[in-house]
Order: sequence, then structure tokens, then C-alpha cells
Amino acid sequence: MNAVEMKGLTYTYPGASQPILKDITLEITKGDFLAVVGNNGCGKSTLCKVLNGLIPHFITGDFQGEARVEGLNTLENDVSALAQKVGYVYQDFENQIVRPTVLDDASYACLNYAFPDYLERGREALRQCGLEGRDNAYIWQLSGGQTHLLALAGAVCLRPDVLILDEPIAQLDPMHADRIYDVLRELNEKQGKTIIVIEHHTEYIADYCRHVLLMKDGRVQWLLPTREALQRVEELEECNIFPPQVTQAAHRLKKAGVLPQDVPLPTTVEEGKKTFSSLTFRPAESVKPAASVGENAISFRNISLSYRSVKGEPRMIFDGLNLDIRKGEKVALIGSNGAGKSTLMKLMVGLLKPQSGSICLFGEPVTQKKAEDFSRQISLVYQNPEEMFIKDSIAGDISYAMRVWGVKDWQERTDALLERFRLQDLRDRDGRLMSGGQMRRASLAIGVALEPKVLLLDEPTANLDIATRREIMGVLEDMKDIIQTAVIATHDMQLVCQWAERIIVLSGGNVVADGSRDEIFSRADLSKLVGIRPPEIFTMAQALNPQALCYTIEEFTRQFQEAAAWKS
Amino acid sequence: MEKLMNQLSENILDKFSMDYLRNQVLKNAYGNDDTVIAGLDPRILIAWYLFFGLVPWFVNDLSFLLGSFLLVMITTLLARVAGLVLFLFGLGVFSQTGYLFLVTLLFGGDASAVAPLLILTLKVATISLASVTVFSGLDPDKLSNGLMWYGCPERLSFSISYAYRMLPMLMEEFQNVLLSYRLRGNPPAHDTFSGKVRYLIYQVKIIMESFYPLMLNTAKRSRTTVEALELRGYRYAAVNKTVKKIRLSALKVTYNDLLFLAISVLWVALCLLCSTLF
Amino acid sequence: MNAMQKNTITQSQKLMIFVLTMSLYGLATLFTELIPKFQVGLVEFSIEYFLFIPLTLGMLFDPLSAALGAATGELVFSEIMLGQFGGLGELEKFLTVTIGVYIAGRLVKDPKNRVMVGIAAITGTAAQLLMGTIVDIAKVQFAVEDFEAVAGLPESVFATEGFAFLNDLLFSGIFFCLLPTLYLVPKLYGKIEPLLGMAPRTAQSAVAGLNPKSVVLCLIGFLCAVTAEMAATAGMSLIDWEAEWAESGTAMAMGMVAAAAVAVIAILVIKKNAERKVA
Repeated sequence: MNAVEMKGLTYTYPGASQPILKDITLEITKGDFLAVVGNNGCGKSTLCKVLNGLIPHFITGDFQGEARVEGLNTLENDVSALAQKVGYVYQDFENQIVRPTVLDDASYACLNYAFPDYLERGREALRQCGLEGRDNAYIWQLSGGQTHLLALAGAVCLRPDVLILDEPIAQLDPMHADRIYDVLRELNEKQGKTIIVIEHHTEYIADYCRHVLLMKDGRVQWLLPTREALQRVEELEECNIFPPQVTQAAHRLKKAGVLPQDVPLPTTVEEGKKTFSSLTFRPAESVKPAASVGENAISFRNISLSYRSVKGEPRMIFDGLNLDIRKGEKVALIGSNGAGKSTLMKLMVGLLKPQSGSICLFGEPVTQKKAEDFSRQISLVYQNPEEMFIKDSIAGDISYAMRVWGVKDWQERTDALLERFRLQDLRDRDGRLMSGGQMRRASLAIGVALEPKVLLLDEPTANLDIATRREIMGVLEDMKDIIQTAVIATHDMQLVCQWAERIIVLSGGNVVADGSRDEIFSRADLSKLVGIRPPEIFTMAQALNPQALCYTIEEFTRQFQEAAAWKS
Repeated sequence: MEKLMNQLSENILDKFSMDYLRNQVLKNAYGNDDTVIAGLDPRILIAWYLFFGLVPWFVNDLSFLLGSFLLVMITTLLARVAGLVLFLFGLGVFSQTGYLFLVTLLFGGDASAVAPLLILTLKVATISLASVTVFSGLDPDKLSNGLMWYGCPERLSFSISYAYRMLPMLMEEFQNVLLSYRLRGNPPAHDTFSGKVRYLIYQVKIIMESFYPLMLNTAKRSRTTVEALELRGYRYAAVNKTVKKIRLSALKVTYNDLLFLAISVLWVALCLLCSTLF
Repeated sequence: MNAMQKNTITQSQKLMIFVLTMSLYGLATLFTELIPKFQVGLVEFSIEYFLFIPLTLGMLFDPLSAALGAATGELVFSEIMLGQFGGLGELEKFLTVTIGVYIAGRLVKDPKNRVMVGIAAITGTAAQLLMGTIVDIAKVQFAVEDFEAVAGLPESVFATEGFAFLNDLLFSGIFFCLLPTLYLVPKLYGKIEPLLGMAPRTAQSAVAGLNPKSVVLCLIGFLCAVTAEMAATAGMSLIDWEAEWAESGTAMAMGMVAAAAVAVIAILVIKKNAERKVA
């Protein structure tokens, strides 16, 4: 029996003129680990909500065709019957946790469905999700990754046969992301659960998933085994899905005739070793970046800061931190979740005051002034753009700061910014009702409206699909002329490698490394210590030749060529 | 007057930090789950509260009121209630009767007005502290189970635990929205008196305006929450009697509960004895 | 499936509105507890209400869910969470807030009509305040013995309460209920509904309009509020505590003390034994 069967399924949201799912016929075998990929708005999430019965029992609308999960017809069975077959973890998973403590939340569904052994089931689910020992912890004590595991445990406790996760690792650092996927793999292999993930991190798909389902405009394009699916580079790129860097590099080399036409494209580093073994490496002439000796833009001296804790001693974040950021630098701030990146940024703009030490912005102490006084010199763009929208239209939000600061030509400048960030058509829309990429562009436009000398970006590429991420990186490139000094806090190593000139690694409130990308990524101890991971293409190049330092696909394809090609 | 305004305008956004508030509320809710009071059975505590929350209203005897006041003060200390809550308690008592006292004097009242007001103050204080003990001392989940045992609507007990779950998130979001205003805004200068008034108005206006983004952001959250509740059987459980039985079976009366009750009774009896003796 | 596409609001949508209003209004009332109240002479400029939040949501969505959500939010966040729970008296606040918001929400037929929104906002606020004032006066009257006999007290109570009502209505009412509601309703209309997966309210929607049934419901609710307050205060005459123990005298009190002391000792001993057994 198949885990999921759909026949001729067409669904239209209430009030919508176009169906979002069009004539979907689909079979998912039991025990599969399936990745659903596709463009934004192609109906991935809608498809998953059909499986757990939210559509059409909770969200009404026009529903035609048939969907069966574990043999149950979703139309004939209600949500509660289906919930025991299908577990669902939302993208904004923190909102699906409704109880204050861990065990309580993990067993909540079982209690609601009146299982007398609900606590035992909850504990078992916690064990399966790697959260044992935290039974009585409060939700706010958990890290982001643990919260996600708890949301998963809350779904697992009903012992469903199918688990669906919507973008499970969007906000996590690589270490936590691995953890989620390891848990999923175990559930899949040991418990025999069918796992369906909506995912655009193709590296993870290559490592963990068995099959890939591509959706386009509400239709199923194909469902193929992972290796085969990721070979279809052009088709995927057309849908804004980017295959693993290794695959992309091989694809380019194949096109350039460097690799033979009949080899299958590799999808993981392991496979890549074989495929690229015929190539030889020629180091590029390394361009030493000129050591910047400019004056300090921001300087931290002996900063100590601790947060009040609910119980016991205050939690120390920084203890005697010293750091200088010079004018004109492009700095990436990296480190695992909770290393103090966001706190550091809040200190820079004066939103937080350190308990001791001093922070200077262009030589002026920040500590004595209010955040408002700095808004023309430094600007912070939040991780969550929704919290930056305080007006009811994008144009209003962008112009807000200019208006209250009495910038004379604010109207022209607003128009210019809207155009620069390609938001003209959306100028009267509320930011929250836009797509992820549009929101992010708008938040950047708001951040640069006052033309600050220093721009701080907190996770500018989190939660974005790869295509939108590329776009944001393009925008950053574009803004070089306005922004002299920029600091980005991020987990996104591709962004770090392409953009940053200086990388600062934070761990436990200390700067554990500080330097260029070559200096940071060639240190093996760092990746163990702070859980950072270089881009896949870098690992690939290293595996082929320990001397190779390639950060982008372009560098890789340039530096690895057929032996013969170098001679000519 | 100027000093007052000064204090006020600094209070609202500057000194009154959301972080502090969040910390205090969390501390109050979760920071004292290992106290004597938190270990008691919620049903016993609620019954205890019913006595100390109601009876003082009906009694005008000074020694009884004083005795009850002392008792609830001790239980409040035992519950290790957060400082902010105690401060609010003081403020509440003053605003309920303290100001009345002043006004009475102003309207030509004399000492005869003081005695009833003192008694009224004691009553208000006892009742407030009894509620502080029970509602701050118990952790929210126990409290909602206890209320449910007494037949309170399921919706209320859900709301209590949900509120405690949501509060840290909501506050953080509110804080971030306010910070957006601080990062981009240009508040009026507040060196002069009129500047301070303008600054105060500016702050109040910003708090009001920040509810626009907050409403939309919370709406987004609520949708996921309610969908997830549906999947996790919330509505199914609301109409199912067995679920309630299973949930309440976790409640247990121990010797500690009985001891707590007996000591309270003993204390009240002693107070009554005093009132008959003097 | 078309049967499910009617204009009526489903149970889950009501829950969504409830949760939304509860969270927001609860958070707001938490602040009102903390913002210092300041007085200029007799006038207390308390920033009493963030009532505009449930008013706005009640006008945009199902009024009853929003009203109940607001009242529950206040109860849970500012009363229970901060330990400010005032016993039976909270029922009064619960009911008056519910009724005020409900009335305002029902009055609005079309959220795009600003005049209508304004009238509804101020009516709802006035209703809530008026009910609160009536209950407040009655409360002091019953709580203080010999209310009439204390010189200056009755006048002062009527004066302060009456003044507080007018002051709240004109100050809090206009600045914190009317204006923000007028600002928010048109801004949110058409934006917040899709986020909850609902259709915006139109003049044709069924929820609007005050019919006799809802008026009667409000009245009953208010009577309940008054009764609750009275029960909390007037109970004095029903259970005449003082008389009871004054007559029975010291002997009875001694008996109670002895009985309670024995109970305490007995429980202590049993507890010790039980603990030893476990150990």
C-alpha cells in the first residue's frame, strides 16, 4: 500500500480565481523520504495541508478529486482521525507549541485524543527526537533548534505513519540543521515512517532524501529518485531550485567539455571525488587583500554584558570583549546560534547598554547617548523583516525615517529607493502581505533610507529560497557605493565567502578567530569548535587537493581543469 | 509638577524596559516552581483562596483582619513572588483606598472616617495578597488544572497556559516593533517642560501606533496556532469527558496540603480567640 | 463542498479571533498595570484603556469572540499572571468589558464607514465605563459600614466616581479608544482578514446590527455583574460572622484552636511515618 495516493486533485482557495493545485495525481510509497521542491507559491504547502485534512475541513474552498493517506480518504475522515496518521510541523513552528513546558507539549496531542499513557508517549517522542532529559524545561529555555525538535516531538507522539515538515532548517546553523535531519533519518529508517519535507537546501536533499518531487504552477512535474532528480540541473534552475554546488560545478564543466558527456553528475562530495578525479588543480594567483588600516568605525573596549535570568545567576554574554571595525570594511559575523551575534549588533546601535566597557562610533562614545541619536549614522536591519514594518505601506515605511528627520527631498529619495529595490509596483502594499524576498528587499530599503555610514544586517538571507537569496546578494553588491561599512551576522557561508572581506568568528562571547576567508576556513579546529561549515564547493576542492581554496563555483571551475588544458 | 512629568516621561520608554518587565513576569510565572506553595495541590490552594479572598470582605473585626493579613503575608513570602508583583500590590492598595482616604479628608471628613478606611485597606490588602499567593505562587499549568477541577470552562484553563506560553514571544515582538521606532524615529527634544510634554505624547502615540504592526503579526501567528490546535485535537478534547478525567488524575492531595490547611485553620482560630478575648 | 463556503464564521475562526484578541489585549493590559497613574489635582489621568484593541477587532470580526477574548485576556494576563486577581469582583470587569466591546462590534455594519465606527467606539466605551461606575459606587456603599454616617464620604464617593467617569470618557475615551480605533479600523480593513483566512466584513454580513435579543443578553450580563459585586460585598448581612462568634464566645474559639492544633500535630506525625516507610 502507498502512504499517499492522490487522484485528479484540484483545489481552489476560497475567493481565489485560479486553482492552486491542478489535477494532481501522485503516489508516495510507504517508508519514503521525500523532498518536495518548487518555486514560491507553486502549491507545496497547500499540497501538504491536503494530506492532513486541514484542507478542506478547516480551510474551505473548492476541492475536487481524491486524496488518500494510509488508505484513509481525507474527505471522509475528519482532521482528528487524520492527525493520527499524519504529523505536521509548520515553518513558523514556534507558533504550534502551545504548552509552557517540554513534556507537556510533547504529550499534548495524546492527552487530547485521550490516550491514558499520554505521558509515556510524550517521553518516547522526546527520546526519538533527541530531547530526553529536558522534560521539565520551559519552552523559552530551549534553543531554536531544540524548539524545532520539540515541535517535531509534538507531532511524533501520536505515532503517525507520515511526517510532514515545512522548511525544517530555514533558521538553523549547520550543526542544528544536521541534528534535525539525523533525527528524521532515524525516524525514517528505524521507525519506518514516511517523511515528506518541503526543502530547498539541495545539499541536504542529496544527503538525506530518497526521492524528489518537483512542483510547478500547481502541477506535479515529476517524482524521481534523488540522484536522478538532481541531475536535471536546467529544469531545476528554471524553477529557482539550485542543485548542490558540486552538481552545478560538474554541470558547467560538462558543458564546457572538460568532463565527458556521458558521466552522471555527482550530487555529494563523495561522488564528486570520483567524477572530478581526472582533473588537476592549478592554484590561482592569490590576490592578497590590502590590509585595511583605515580609522575605526566602531570600537569595543572591555565590554561586559549579562542578561537577567529567571532563576539564579545572570547569564554572561560578553566578558571583556575587545573588537575594532574599521571604516570601509565588509565584515561577516559568524558563530553558532546563541553565540552573541545579535547582541553585538544591538550594542552597536545603542539598543543595549553594556554593564561595563565602552563602545565608540566614529570616535564618539555610544554608551552615553540614546539609540535615536545615532539613527543617521548606523542602521540595523532585523532578521525578521515583519518587525520593521511599522506603517501600512512600503512607501510609508521607507519614507518614515526621512520624514521625521526632515530630509528635504524625501519624496524623490523614496521613489529612487523603491525603484532601486524594484518595489515600485508594491509601494502601497503592506509589507507583511508580500512574499519573503520582497519583504527582505523592502527591509533593506528601509535600512538604507537615511544613508547610514554603517549598515548592520542580521541574517539577511534566512528563510529565503536560493533564488531570492541570490537576488539579495546582488542587491548588497549594488549598494556598495552607498554603504561604506557593513556588518552581516549570518549562518550562510556562501554569502560569507562571496561577500565578506573580513570574517569574525564568535563563540561563547569571545572572538575566537578574525581574518580573511582563507585564514578562517583553512583552520580545521574552528569548524569543530563553533560548528561553522564552509560551502560545499570548498569542501569538494579540499577533498581533491588540500591546497585548493575555492569558495565559489566559478573559482572551482577555473582552478580545476583537465591536465591537458593547463599545458596549452 | 515638572519633576513629576520628568519622572513620568522617563518612566514609560526609557527606564521601563521591556526586558525587565518580561523577566519579572517570567520570574513570577516560572521562577518559583520549587517553593512550598508551588508544591501544594491547586485544589486545596484554590479552596484556601476562596476563604481568604472572600471572607475578609464580610468581616469587620480588626484582630481577625490583622491576623489574616499576617498569614497571607507569610504565604506570599513563602511563594517568593517577584518584586514587581509586590510593587503592583502596593500600588493597587493605594489606588483603591489610599486616595479615597485623602479625598475624604478633603471633603471635611475627620478621624471617624479613618477607622473604616483602615479596615477597608486591610481587607483589600488581605484579599490581594491571598490572590498573589495563589496565582503567582502556583505554576500556570497546575492552576489551570485546579480551576478545571472546579468546573471552570475549558477555554479559560487553556487560555491561562497559552498566555504563559505566548507572553515571552509577544513581548519580544512588541519590543522589536518599539525598537524600530527608536531606531528610525526622531523624538522631540525633551529638555524643557513643554518638550517633556511633547515627548510624553510622542511616546504614548508610538505605543498606540505600534499595535498596528503588532495586530497583523499576531494575526499571522494565531492562524498557525489555531490550525495546529486543530491538528493536535484541542477541539476534540474540549467535548470529551475522558480527557478531562485523565488530565485531572494527575492531581494528588498530600500530607503537605493537609498540613497547610490545618495550620491555616489553627491560625484563624487563634485570631478568633484573640478577638473574643480583647 | 459549497455548503462550507457560506458567510458564517466557523468555530475555528472564532477561536482564532479569540486567541488574537486575548493575546493582544492581555499584553496591553499588562502594561496599563505598570504605567504609573498620575494625578493633577483631583483628576486622575490614568491611561486606563487599551480598549481600542478589542474595539477594533470586534468591529472587523465576530464581536462576541473578540469581546470574550478581550475579557479573558485581561483576566489572565493582568489579573492572574500578575497576581492581581480580585476574586468575585473580577467578574464585573469581565462582563462589562465583554458587553462594551460586544455592543460596539454589533453597532458597526460597515467598517469602512468612519462615522459609524466612531459612534460605535465611543458608545462601547461609554457603556463599559458607565457600568463600571455604577458598580463602583455600589461597592463602596456596601463595603464601608455606616456609609451614610461617615461625614463627607458619600459626597466624596459620588463626586470622585462621577468625575472619574466623565474624565475617563472624555480623556481615555477619546484619546485611547475613539482616535486609535478610527486610525486602525480603516487601516486594518482588508489586510488582517486574509491573514486569518477570512473574508472582510461587509454591509451584507450577518454579524452586524443590535437586535432585541442581543440587548437583552447585554442587560442580563450587566445584572450578573452587579449581582457578583453585590454578592462580594453585601454578603455581610447574609453571613453574620461577627454575631456568630461574639455569642458563642471564647470557649468556642478555644475549641477551634485545640481542634486545629491536634490536626496539625496528627498530620505531622502521619507524614513522618509515611516518609519513614518510603525511605
